[in-house]
Amino acid sequence: MRQIFYLIQKEFRQIFRDKSMIGILFIIPLIQIFILGNAVTTDVKNIKLVVQDQDKTPYSRELLRQFIHSGYFKINGIEEDYNKLSSYLDSGKANLVIVIPKHFQRDIVLGNKPDIQLLVDGVDGNSSGVSLGYVNDIMQNYQERLIEHLPELSLQIKNMHRVEAEPRFWFNPNLESKPYIVPGIIALILLVITLFLTSMGVVREKEIGTLEQLMVTPIKSYQLVTGKIIPFCILGLLEIMIGMGFVYLIFGIGIKGSFFLILFESLIFVLSTLGLGIFISTISDTQQQALFMAWFFMIFSILLSGFFIPIANMPPVIQQITRLNPLRYFIVILREIYLKGTSLKDLIPETLSMITFSACLFFAAVIRFKKKLG
Amino acid sequence: MKTRRIVSIITKEYIHIFRDWRSLIIIILMPILMIILYGYAITFDIKNLTFAVIDDAKTPESRELIRGFTENRFFVLKYMDIKRGEIEPLFKKRFIQMVIVIPKDFSESLISNRVTKVQLLVDAADSNVGTFIYNYSNRVIQLYNEKINFKTPGIVNLKPRILYNPDMKSVNFFVPGLVALILLLISALLTSIAITREKETGTLEQILVSPVHPIEIIGGKVIPYITLGLLNGTIILLFARFLFKVPINGSLFLIAALALLYIFVALSFGLMISASVKTQLVAMLETLMSTVLPTIMLSGLIFPVASMPLPLRIISKAIPATHFLIIIRGIMLKGVGFWELWQHAAALSAIGFVLLFIATKRFKMTLE
Repeated sequence: MRQIFYLIQKEFRQIFRDKSMIGILFIIPLIQIFILGNAVTTDVKNIKLVVQDQDKTPYSRELLRQFIHSGYFKINGIEEDYNKLSSYLDSGKANLVIVIPKHFQRDIVLGNKPDIQLLVDGVDGNSSGVSLGYVNDIMQNYQERLIEHLPELSLQIKNMHRVEAEPRFWFNPNLESKPYIVPGIIALILLVITLFLTSMGVVREKEIGTLEQLMVTPIKSYQLVTGKIIPFCILGLLEIMIGMGFVYLIFGIGIKGSFFLILFESLIFVLSTLGLGIFISTISDTQQQALFMAWFFMIFSILLSGFFIPIANMPPVIQQITRLNPLRYFIVILREIYLKGTSLKDLIPETLSMITFSACLFFAAVIRFKKKLG
Repeated sequence: MKTRRIVSIITKEYIHIFRDWRSLIIIILMPILMIILYGYAITFDIKNLTFAVIDDAKTPESRELIRGFTENRFFVLKYMDIKRGEIEPLFKKRFIQMVIVIPKDFSESLISNRVTKVQLLVDAADSNVGTFIYNYSNRVIQLYNEKINFKTPGIVNLKPRILYNPDMKSVNFFVPGLVALILLLISALLTSIAITREKETGTLEQILVSPVHPIEIIGGKVIPYITLGLLNGTIILLFARFLFKVPINGSLFLIAALALLYIFVALSFGLMISASVKTQLVAMLETLMSTVLPTIMLSGLIFPVASMPLPLRIISKAIPATHFLIIIRGIMLKGVGFWELWQHAAALSAIGFVLLFIATKRFKMTLE
């Protein structure tokens, strides 16, 4: 027991001997949470709009007013020359160009259905899809308002009997993306820190030769592994607690569910990343190798976690692959506890999957570690 | 400066790289896997949204409305007539994402009132999905309204034309971004590690006392990684072009020239970091935290810069990848030339020189 305690002490000293580690472990993650929490948004705003109004009548001006009024668009220019329109898109000065044709108002009144041309920069397919959605909404609104001025149609509309949806958005009444994304960021940072610290830390000792020195002491290998694991578990839990406190202070996002449940689940998750870290360290000889392995696993766990791209949007084969990813479960768990206050009872499948992964990775790591040393 | 000395340092660095074949495989393999993942992985419409119905009316009309939802490829009906107390547990178990509550007097109200409300309870934990569900439900309800009344005539025709990426394919958007990410990763991360490794093991001092000039050392260390980066960029572009048919509309030469400029910036970043740290672990974590993550998040690689709050939009201008992304997407997808991009090229050069200046200052300090 005492030996393990000394090992833990040694590990902490080793970590904090380099003063910049304190910054890396505790300050940079907070900056990350702050920046990412603000940057990662699935909303599309400030769409750059360039307008060509060939009609210049009250109707066309009303349409433009609705675009400005929606708050999604920013008018970046009014261009009279039709041939110059595409240059705005080329240079990125516009994401969207709208052309209102001549006789727009007259054609509406006559019922001729004038064509409104839209040129959309489709480079970012997702954003352009969303902005087209906005345009459709605006047009819908615009037409509904216009109908009131067209007596024949408006009479018909008035006699309609229709069903209307009355939405209630549970857990997130204002439909903000932050409360959903921020817990995910905490999970990412926990993954990055613990995975890299262990995988590189162990290899470093190998590289410098201190691991062999430890091996010739009477310490048993399980003690060695425990002595490595416990400090990183403590650091991981500390990291997540600081992260949660910071998230509450800065974004005002509190935990609906149980704080201790989060700690418990984090512990399971951290065991899996530590297991992976030690496993990586046993199959690599230099820190650079360890770094690349860790980097490789990190990128793919993040990509396949549902953090950036919802898992439902992936093709079925890849959806199945994501089941092999502990981070996927951890992010779901964090989001559930944070937003819905879900209890352990309803998180059992995810928790069990994580425990399985942690156990497997851990045993693989210990076995490889022993072999390597023995 | 003697070329022979530089060449031998370069050779030494190549030997370092090739001796470590595992890292090399990862360096080559990772971008390919990422392309395949991104090329196939993402669709932006969400399907199979699960829902339950509480039908208090149980009339032909209410059943007709429910049919509108079930006969739709977006929604899957999971439960009928659950109790109100079961809604929250079902949301928490993630068995359903929406509950439709049809009031008792639904059919009578349809005849006597102009507007009849139907409650939609949406699990909006993911705001994106919440919005999606609401929009799709509205569309279904709209269709129902048209069925029981008549089709609302349009007054205007909307004629959208999608330029550059007409099918709005995500792979066209991500692949140029991937080039930016990989070039940065290799140039900044690998160089900072490579130089710190020599520091950590003490070999840097050995080289420093030899008659080799520091510039030769750095040049010799950096050039292999430039070639590695370019090789990787080429692989990504080949895959993109031939497997996923991503267009390359502009000039390849311009891409290569500006990619070199971008690599120069990333290398300067790597040098700046390696100048001030002592261990590879710290070098790696610092590079990761200060370049790679911000690049992924703030440069417009995935999330559009324009949607961010103003301070972050300003910060993003100082991130090299922001400019390079505009450049490479512009050249590949829009087919624009240098004239449309010179401002971003200028910004890249400025960032690069500032970083290099800081790096040399710091290096001088550590060496003295």
